[in-house]
Amino acid sequence: EVNTAQESSMAVPEFLSKAELLKQGAEARVYRAQFLGKPTIVKERFPKRYRHPVLDEKLTHRRTVQEVRSILRCRRAGISAPVIYFVDYNSHCIFLEEIVGSSTVRDHIASTQWSESCKEQKLEQLAEHVGQILAKMHDEDVIHGDLTTSNMLLRRGPKDVASDIVLIDFGLSYISALPEDKGVDLYVLEKAFLSTHPNTEELFEKLLKSYAASSRKSSAVIKKLDEVRLRGRKRSMVG
Amino acid sequence: MHLTQELELFPDHCVTQMLFKEVKNAAELRQSAVEGKLNGALINPTMLVCDFQVLVAANKAVHLQKTGKMKTRSLYSEIIFNLSPTNNISEAFKRFGISDGDDAVMVVLVHNKDESQPLSDIAAKVDGLQVPVEDMSSLSDTAKIKKLYKVTPQEEKCGTLLDAVVCRMATKDVM
Ligand SMILES: Nc1ncnc2c1ncn2[C@@H]1O[C@H](COP(=O)(O)O)[C@@H](O)[C@H]1O
Repeated sequence: EVNTAQESSMAVPEFLSKAELLKQGAEARVYRAQFLGKPTIVKERFPKRYRHPVLDEKLTHRRTVQEVRSILRCRRAGISAPVIYFVDYNSHCIFLEEIVGSSTVRDHIASTQWSESCKEQKLEQLAEHVGQILAKMHDEDVIHGDLTTSNMLLRRGPKDVASDIVLIDFGLSYISALPEDKGVDLYVLEKAFLSTHPNTEELFEKLLKSYAASSRKSSAVIKKLDEVRLRGRKRSMVG
Repeated sequence: MHLTQELELFPDHCVTQMLFKEVKNAAELRQSAVEGKLNGALINPTMLVCDFQVLVAANKAVHLQKTGKMKTRSLYSEIIFNLSPTNNISEAFKRFGISDGDDAVMVVLVHNKDESQPLSDIAAKVDGLQVPVEDMSSLSDTAKIKKLYKVTPQEEKCGTLLDAVVCRMATKDVM
């Protein structure tokens, strides 16, 4: 029994050693592989050596569980997020549907900015769409925790159908009904958005307008966002 | 007719699915499984959307067996348990296992790559007509599946019924 348990705990690491590493982050590695015959993304949280092992194990487990719960909660509410195929709580790996042929909203905005005519209109539509999705997510009390345009994928649908936005990387997510938490979530996005995409202040305002119009509880959230912005500015003035 | 898929995480292991219709001896088959004389999971195909659903359940069962964390007594009962969205074992068997009067049965086996004997052994025990595994979609009771897995109408807008079902199965331990 003990032997098989040890042997088995090697199954996932051995599998990953042959998978394609997509990203090495500070908290997790992201791989691409074939799993049960399907293109799959595997997210592996690894131990942090500077943390106490018992505490580290607890935190890592909790993050894995939170990620899984947030994804399911979003999907139930009709917000696209990758399907979860399998979770290994020993090696802290989540096996997710690969959104094949997708591009990040970040790359999409960047390439649209450089290109064609009627780009303003296209970007505005996209920003409005993102605003609606985030409003829906916050109405479900899901706080993403790391909103960036890299954590939104565009699933390429059949032509003429509005391409679907898929939210990914719920590694820092949690459940909260507090307007403050939602305001901070938007503030994180604002910071990331404006620094990744220069000269998009107006575009981001469109996103927020659409958020405010779609969310049932937006006024308290926007008020908190304004407060957080002010705090951020004061802090940067003090140095 | 049957469908065999290797488990990438456990490369020695294969999962084979065999679908039978017009089955006359469901009660006898169920009895043999209970007594441990039949090494396979006997599943009610009306609760299945697609073969991928079975693969997800089988992969998880092998994983839990290897890590000593199964909730039931055997690999095959674990596969049936893993199909269920809840942690109630007897409910899982009632919904996803076969009942004595059933006339359609999905047989699921986990075996070594180069083992094919168990397949013909089991096929010989079933008094029924083997049909292609893909026929299972025509047997699915989607209304019942949606109700049991509590699939919301919004959820079906952002994915398929299979997506919803697989997500529930994969995450039920922490819900
Ligand atoms: N489910 C997915 N489908 C396709 N690509 C993904 C998926 N998850 C992550 N990626 C890619 O992997 C990168 C890192 O993932 P993450 O650490 O989750 O942000 C992303 O920027 C995407 O390009």
